Amino acid sequence: MNLLKVQNLKVHFPVKRGPFSREREFVRAVDGVSFFVATGETVGLVGESGCGKTTLGRAVIKLIEPTDGRIFFNGENLAALDAETLRARRQKFQMIFQDPYGSLDSRMTVANIIGEALDIHRLAPAPAARRERIENLLNDVGLDPSHAQRYPHEFSGGQRQRIGIARALAVEPKLIVCDEPVSALDVSVQAQIINLLQDLQRARGLAYLFVAHDLAVVRHISQRILVMYLGRIVESGDAKEICRSPKHPYTQALISAVPVVDPDSKRQRIILAGDVPSPIHPPGGCPFHPRCPVAEARCKTEVPALREVAPGRHTACHLATVEK
Amino acid sequence: MPLLEIKNLQLDFGRGAKALRAVDGVSLRLEASETLCLVGESGSGKSVTALSVARLVPSPPAHYVGGEILVEGRDVLKMSKPELREIRGGVVSYVFQEPGASLNPVFRVGHQIKESLKLHRPTAATDTEVIRLLKLVGIPAPESRIKSYPHEMSGGMQQRVMIAMALASQPKLLIADEPTTALDVTIQAQIIELLRELKQRLGMAILLITHNLGIVGDLADRVAVMYAGQIVETDAARELLQRPLHPYTRALMHSVPSLTAHVERLTAIPGNVPRLGAFPGGCRFHPRCPIARSECANAIPELVEVEPQRWVRCPLWQT
Ligand SMILES: Nc1ncnc2c1ncn2[C@@H]1O[C@H](COP(=O)(O)OP(=O)(O)O)[C@@H](O)[C@H]1O
Ligand SMILES: Nc1ncnc2c1ncn2[C@@H]1O[C@H](COP(=O)(O)OP(=O)(O)O)[C@@H](O)[C@H]1O
Ligand SMILES: [Mg+2]
Ligand SMILES: [Mg+2]
Repeated sequence: MNLLKVQNLKVHFPVKRGPFSREREFVRAVDGVSFFVATGETVGLVGESGCGKTTLGRAVIKLIEPTDGRIFFNGENLAALDAETLRARRQKFQMIFQDPYGSLDSRMTVANIIGEALDIHRLAPAPAARRERIENLLNDVGLDPSHAQRYPHEFSGGQRQRIGIARALAVEPKLIVCDEPVSALDVSVQAQIINLLQDLQRARGLAYLFVAHDLAVVRHISQRILVMYLGRIVESGDAKEICRSPKHPYTQALISAVPVVDPDSKRQRIILAGDVPSPIHPPGGCPFHPRCPVAEARCKTEVPALREVAPGRHTACHLATVEK
Repeated sequence: MPLLEIKNLQLDFGRGAKALRAVDGVSLRLEASETLCLVGESGSGKSVTALSVARLVPSPPAHYVGGEILVEGRDVLKMSKPELREIRGGVVSYVFQEPGASLNPVFRVGHQIKESLKLHRPTAATDTEVIRLLKLVGIPAPESRIKSYPHEMSGGMQQRVMIAMALASQPKLLIADEPTTALDVTIQAQIIELLRELKQRLGMAILLITHNLGIVGDLADRVAVMYAGQIVETDAARELLQRPLHPYTRALMHSVPSLTAHVERLTAIPGNVPRLGAFPGGCRFHPRCPIARSECANAIPELVEVEPQRWVRCPLWQT
């Protein structure tokens, strides 16, 4: 059974049309997204800024209320749970953030940041057991337990991200939504955090929904990838396969735009014209059609459904051919 | 005579006992119409080096302790204010990471470009020239765009406007400091493509600053890699990417995942990028270096030409 199953999830934010207008419009930040994450699996979520990745991640772990759709965790519909049960279930999914500094309370010591998570779920009421758990957690994420009484500003960016990870792990989650966890880090430190996340996954059977805009990082860490554009998934499938042979024109452009170090790479570059359109007035038909190099007449009017074009590969493009 | 020659530049922040050396003996050469990439992680001194070319680092707190910055043979560090004004936005133009922060929000973009023209090429300060510049940087419908305010444009379009403004003076050297870092990948690809076109069409030299080695392969003729205020390796771009010689460059390249090859586990670089004021003694990379020996802690290695045109600051580069 899948650990997480999301069906037709929508998150629409009301926005005012102008400063004097009473009329309300909606940002369709997430607009009908379905996917699953298996136990112990990493699913990568890529797309450009504003496409809805953070909103989707937050909605999945119930930090924001979805407008529509259903979220199942271990087969249980989260919307059907009473407040008390939901609180207990929430312990099983956690989030780590891009900016570890902004997400850590600067007035609290590391011990208290991690201890607070334990306290909320009453996981270690006795002081000695609490202290031991905090020390173990610091060890597990590669921090020196003797630094437990220090404050976040005394640590480097990479170490702060480790604190954020320790806090998430404190409550023994099954799923962690990682929202751009390495994007703000120095290149030489990114690999440390990626390796740590992979080690923890193996040791603890964790599942990750790993959000990032760096496709190479996402490919490395994920078994499967979801590609998002304007609030929708336009392609999904095996991580290596998607990068080797993308089917959706947007995925193709995204992959060809990644700067590569290899000077002999003979890649065909696809330079997309124009900017990402607004999710307030997404284009009709296929939302990608105004930037699509191969769009046809029907792309302007018919919304393409996400359909299976090869085993395990789904693409929302009228022109994608089905492999037999 | 090279267009730009930086010789043994030394720059401190603060004075006396509190002085911290942010740039420590940097030497660079850039010929006309050449593109040099300055690569390094945050805090390595890239921006401070690049801003020094037009003396744009506020001083104090900055102090130039030693070295020369020769632009067409004249030392910028010895120039008077009027001479510096001639260099800034004249021979040398800048494009920065955050176009939104560099554009004035209360003026239309056409007006801002025209102001730049008035300063450097007064006879060309016309709508026709503004439109030509906007067209040059690939802004669609430039005739109507001159009336837009910066906030009405996307980040990518704002960056194009910044580039148009930088080109207004017909600079011989364009210094672009992380011009695509704040942009999405597809927009980043557009801007890199634009820089490549402009370089060919206008024949100007580009000093491109980036922390992304991938961008080097797209644009650079030569590369200089910085670590903790020093250049540790400088080569032709192709050679460096194919066969990096300094242990830091090698480690950096191995630590980033690839889009095609598969590795089970990334080779991470241990430790952290040292902060200004906490640079280790001896070779600054030695505490994180996979091949360091005890003597690496003793003295800072020299930058040595180990092969023709290949300079490396590591005596162990062959191991
Ligand atoms: N609380 C909010 N109110 C209104 N709009 C929002 C809110 N949060 C996000 N948005 C909008 O929703 C869209 C998706 O945002 P986000 O999920 O942050 O994208 P990403 O993480 O992919 O960059 C954007 O257009 C953003 O401006
Ligand atoms: N105005 C300033 N005052 C004091 N320190 C500064 C100032 N500007 C930069 N620095 C320091 O100089 C070092 C080099 O900075 P910078 O050139 O911006 O690095 P990079 O561009 O490589 O990220 C950093 O440690 C930075 O904190
Ligand atoms: Mg986000
Ligand atoms: Mg900088």
